[in-house]
Amino acid sequence: MNVVVDPAAAVAAGIEPAVPSVDTVPGSQPVPWRHRHLLDVDGLSAADLDLVMRTTDAMREVLARPIAKVPALRGRQVTILFYEASTRTRVSFEVAAKNLSADVVNIAAASSSVAKGESLIDTVRTVEALGAQMLVMRHSVSGAPYLAAEIFGGSVLNGGDGWHAHPTQALLDLYTMRERMPGGSLVGRKVVILGDLLHSRVARSNIWTLTAAGADLWLCGPATLVRGFEAWAGRGAAAGRRFHVTTSVDEALRDADVVMALRIQRERMAAGLLPSLREYAARYGLTHERLALAQPGALVMHPGPMNEGVEIAADVAAGPQSVITDQVTNGVAVRMALLYLLAGTHGTQGTQGSHAGGAA
Amino acid sequence: MITPGIDLEISRAWLVDPAAGREGPGEIVVRAGILEAVTWLTGAGAKDVGPDGVVVAPGFIDLHVHLREPGNEDAETVATGLAAAAHGGFTTVCAMPNTDPAMDEPSVLGRVRAAAEASGSPVELLAHGAVTVGRAGEQLAALGELADAGVVGFSDDGAPVRTATIMRAALAYAGALGLPVIDHAEDAGLTTGAEANDGFVATVLGLRGWPAAAEEMAVARDLALLADVVRDVPGARLHLTHLSTAGALDLVRSAKAAGLPVTCDVTPHHLGLTDEWVAGARRWAWEASGDPWADDILVAGPYSTALRVNPPLRSPSDAAACMAALVDGTADAVATDHAPHTEVDKAVEFGLAANGISGLETALGILLAAVDAGHLPLARAIEALTTGPARVLGARSRRAGSVGLVEGSPADLVVFDRSERWTVTAEGLASRGKNTPLLGIELAGRVLVTLAGGRIACKAPDA
Repeated sequence: MNVVVDPAAAVAAGIEPAVPSVDTVPGSQPVPWRHRHLLDVDGLSAADLDLVMRTTDAMREVLARPIAKVPALRGRQVTILFYEASTRTRVSFEVAAKNLSADVVNIAAASSSVAKGESLIDTVRTVEALGAQMLVMRHSVSGAPYLAAEIFGGSVLNGGDGWHAHPTQALLDLYTMRERMPGGSLVGRKVVILGDLLHSRVARSNIWTLTAAGADLWLCGPATLVRGFEAWAGRGAAAGRRFHVTTSVDEALRDADVVMALRIQRERMAAGLLPSLREYAARYGLTHERLALAQPGALVMHPGPMNEGVEIAADVAAGPQSVITDQVTNGVAVRMALLYLLAGTHGTQGTQGSHAGGAA
Repeated sequence: MITPGIDLEISRAWLVDPAAGREGPGEIVVRAGILEAVTWLTGAGAKDVGPDGVVVAPGFIDLHVHLREPGNEDAETVATGLAAAAHGGFTTVCAMPNTDPAMDEPSVLGRVRAAAEASGSPVELLAHGAVTVGRAGEQLAALGELADAGVVGFSDDGAPVRTATIMRAALAYAGALGLPVIDHAEDAGLTTGAEANDGFVATVLGLRGWPAAAEEMAVARDLALLADVVRDVPGARLHLTHLSTAGALDLVRSAKAAGLPVTCDVTPHHLGLTDEWVAGARRWAWEASGDPWADDILVAGPYSTALRVNPPLRSPSDAAACMAALVDGTADAVATDHAPHTEVDKAVEFGLAANGISGLETALGILLAAVDAGHLPLARAIEALTTGPARVLGARSRRAGSVGLVEGSPADLVVFDRSERWTVTAEGLASRGKNTPLLGIELAGRVLVTLAGGRIACKAPDA
């Protein structure tokens, strides 16, 4: 994954992918997308990432239409199976699927049912028997979507698993950053992810996509919440996936082009990882004063939901540098793009498709 | 049930007899179950007989197996467990007491022995009794009664002996009975919810880290308590099972150098596999770099629950430390920690899956892979499966004093062919536990015949 995703470089290298016309049925045009599932972003090539970005452009165009809807997934059933509470991601997937004219089934499975009732495998078999062709899944246990993908006949989209991955979030973050960067390139741009890295699937997925995009990535947080990432950074350097880890917020923010704050959860105090939210806010909260260390006009991002006044000050979140609502809007477009691309790997009748690569 | 002893002659094989400290070309003759003649060949007779073909060794001894009966017969029974043992070349196994109910008093042991008798297997079944009632860590189990009933050690395995107070009492009480306490070294305060070795792979996969320090703290506790107890109870003995970290093995190495009566074992999976496998790599520990993503060798999907085991598969450097400890004698034995589980307990999310690997039938294959790669002398591998564990057991095995190719004793031996490779399959395993990460993987050293107590315990159909 040491290939840089830079549109100009991509064109020069002849890897510019064909962008599908999203008004057609998925799979009806030759699109160079081979992943049947989207479980992680670690297996996405530079060309894959570029194709997602370009397909998202096309979906943005759809969203700008008076009637923001295309018939691409008409007659297909998208089942949204969430084992963890979520509003924004679940609704985003639902809106995305409906914009593509899919039939949407929503299942909110309480986490407790995992322990007391039906196994994940039985649940997946059941939703498939009920007609699910694409399965959007969120689960509190890292790796759970891989288990689902082993037995599900259609496509599995990981909507977040444990601390492991949140592929659509990382892709919408990438899209949002590229959209705002001059030239659409992140090469050499200093991007900071600030907060609770240890428990963050958003951070883990962003590490793969942002290092692939050539960003100068910095992870910053208290020592207890960045533990383990130094070793990853060390390994990554050898593989061209370089990034930096620091507990110094000043060092991280200085001259940054993008600052993404992560949610701090109250459980972290109970686990002895933080003294208090107050201390966290004082030492790591993204305030105006701290943001002044970054480049003028640096982008402020947050994957939500926010604790305003803890990891991010309310005026920063709502300020002129914030692109937090753009992230939400782009999230719908990115999820439309991914549903579209994955649907193209299997026909409306059959469920054949490749199962290659880490993202497969 | 009386089964007549077997007659068997094997000529021109490679004999390994760790008791005699000898290996080389030779022949054996078994008559009516008695190892009648062991002949070492020299000169022309030894020509073309090397260690790469048919090997005859004493039957293997496993200090650590879970046979699941009573309580979880869907996962394994005494009969299927003993069949798996024989298929793996083991002729003596020591069952852990974490059955349901636990073996914390003699009646459960009686049931297990009756099941072994009924199975007709000639494999010797020994048992460890629980250290505490119900393995709950609060009150000493019926240690004296269990000792009278013939247990070979005490363990709360599956969990550590919970408190230092109980551990100290157990070391003293068991020591006076002449038996070791076998501890599963884990400081549970550091491993609540832990899923995979705390390190690079767990960080990338978002798995809750299982720190090496949790094992090392527990080992340090146990060694400190042993040093304290042994002053008053010279018979006190500690055996640390399935050690998996470089630091834990260093602690044992120092303790042994200081003269403490401690022994330990390592498992085949901690020798041969690493946490890279959880990411989807399938290369041996001695080939591993620790970064399966950089090396682009992810050939399987991540999060296979067959790899969930306690202690977890560690880093390549920990695996190398296990191997170094085995080679230098810090580790006295290889024990499988054979932990069969049902499909129901494994076909779930990684974080919810039962811990354990079904290991009796692949132990030899993993060790031979290390031998083939030049990381472990064949004689040392056999020693760690025979005389090493026999020394930990002392006189309580029927084979005490005769773990070796000893003429005139009932034949307890295994014959395997290092030139024959076999592929691990679910159907091919005698164990009910198909939970091994080695399914589909080719191993060397197919077992041709296992003789236990002078009888055939296992014979390959074509052998």
